[in-house]
Amino acid sequence: MSNRAMSEASRREVRAGLEPCLARLWRYALVLSKARDVADDLVQATCLRAIERADQFIPGTRVDRWLFAILRSIWLNEIRSRRIREGGGFVDPEEVLTTDGAREIEVNITASAVLRAIGQLPEAQRETVLLVYGDGYSYAEAAAALAIPIGTVMSRLAAARATLAKLK
Amino acid sequence: MTDEDAELVALIDNELDEGSRGPLLARLAADERLRQRYDELRAAGAPIAASLAELLGQAPLERLRAAIPVDGPIRQPPGRSASNGLRQLAAGVAIGLLAAGATAWVAASFGLLKEREDWRSAVANYTNMYSNDTFTPLRPDAQLQTVELSALGAKLGANLTPENVALPDLRFTTAFMLVYEGSPLGVIAYVDPSGAPVALCIIANHAPDAPIRSERRDDLSLAWWSNSGRSHLVIGRIPVERAVALAQTVEKRI
Repeated sequence: MSNRAMSEASRREVRAGLEPCLARLWRYALVLSKARDVADDLVQATCLRAIERADQFIPGTRVDRWLFAILRSIWLNEIRSRRIREGGGFVDPEEVLTTDGAREIEVNITASAVLRAIGQLPEAQRETVLLVYGDGYSYAEAAAALAIPIGTVMSRLAAARATLAKLK
Repeated sequence: MTDEDAELVALIDNELDEGSRGPLLARLAADERLRQRYDELRAAGAPIAASLAELLGQAPLERLRAAIPVDGPIRQPPGRSASNGLRQLAAGVAIGLLAAGATAWVAASFGLLKEREDWRSAVANYTNMYSNDTFTPLRPDAQLQTVELSALGAKLGANLTPENVALPDLRFTTAFMLVYEGSPLGVIAYVDPSGAPVALCIIANHAPDAPIRSERRDDLSLAWWSNSGRSHLVIGRIPVERAVALAQTVEKRI
């Protein structure tokens, strides 16, 4: 495939892949930022960046993972760091990660209780839980995406489960 | 959290390396305290995926779609898109709740609504949120199946083994515990060749013996029966005749 054809294929795949990933991107942004307005902005910035840099996407690879990496990079390098510099905080996590009440499940641990507990986990644990249990990353894939050893993935997931186990 | 927890969680997630897996399974078989911790960590993780799925339904999709820069048509890949999937999930949950409500109304009209029957509605609502991706990645080997099922059986007072819960054309994926109004509720999850989830649920609710009955709730088929103080339910997006046939297979064995 020529460079031009490959660029065209990259742009097509990125544009086609964006919309199906929107909800998952937004959830990732919400879990990271714990703020709905920030999540909206983060997804918007991710869409723009993805279109701008579509040539860098390798056709045939997973566009969702590529978009997640862009979102994470924008979060870490631009939004979170700016918030920290400006001394801005985020809204109460308990009010952000929650369910629609009508969908409450009558089991011993409700979805809303689990989401509240996830919202109170440290950011590194929240993110690892989301990638592995929400988005199906293997431990190795999560380790690569987060640039950490697999052992750290294991300890973050175990710490998160240990916290959730205390909900009972 | 300890290193032991990390190993147990990796075992639960089917991510433990082969070198560590065998020794840990051996310790689990011999150590009641370790099995208890394994159960706690597994139960703590069981509702995470479904809880996170709730957030997907809250995404402001219209607003987000509008944020995609337009410089030509955006082609949807063929097949089911994630957004369609979400709409279907949301619709499935709504319809499931409506179906559960309608069933409750009919049952109440005939004076049949008993507390111990409500667990089927709770399970149906929960099952509506399972997708073809929920259990498909889980591929426990025979050793892990044995550990999971014996832990479940101990809580339910039932003898559960990989052999007596094996079902035709279904692949075992995991077994986990829930609690419904104080009664232990075990879920054994399978997938069919297409990845569609089917669950065998067992609740130790002291219900009187009852023969197999069946019903449809939206796109779910349910077949249930009670014996030995436990009620059993086969549930999935399968024809009702298949649910009954699976129920008959299990009833003879456990």
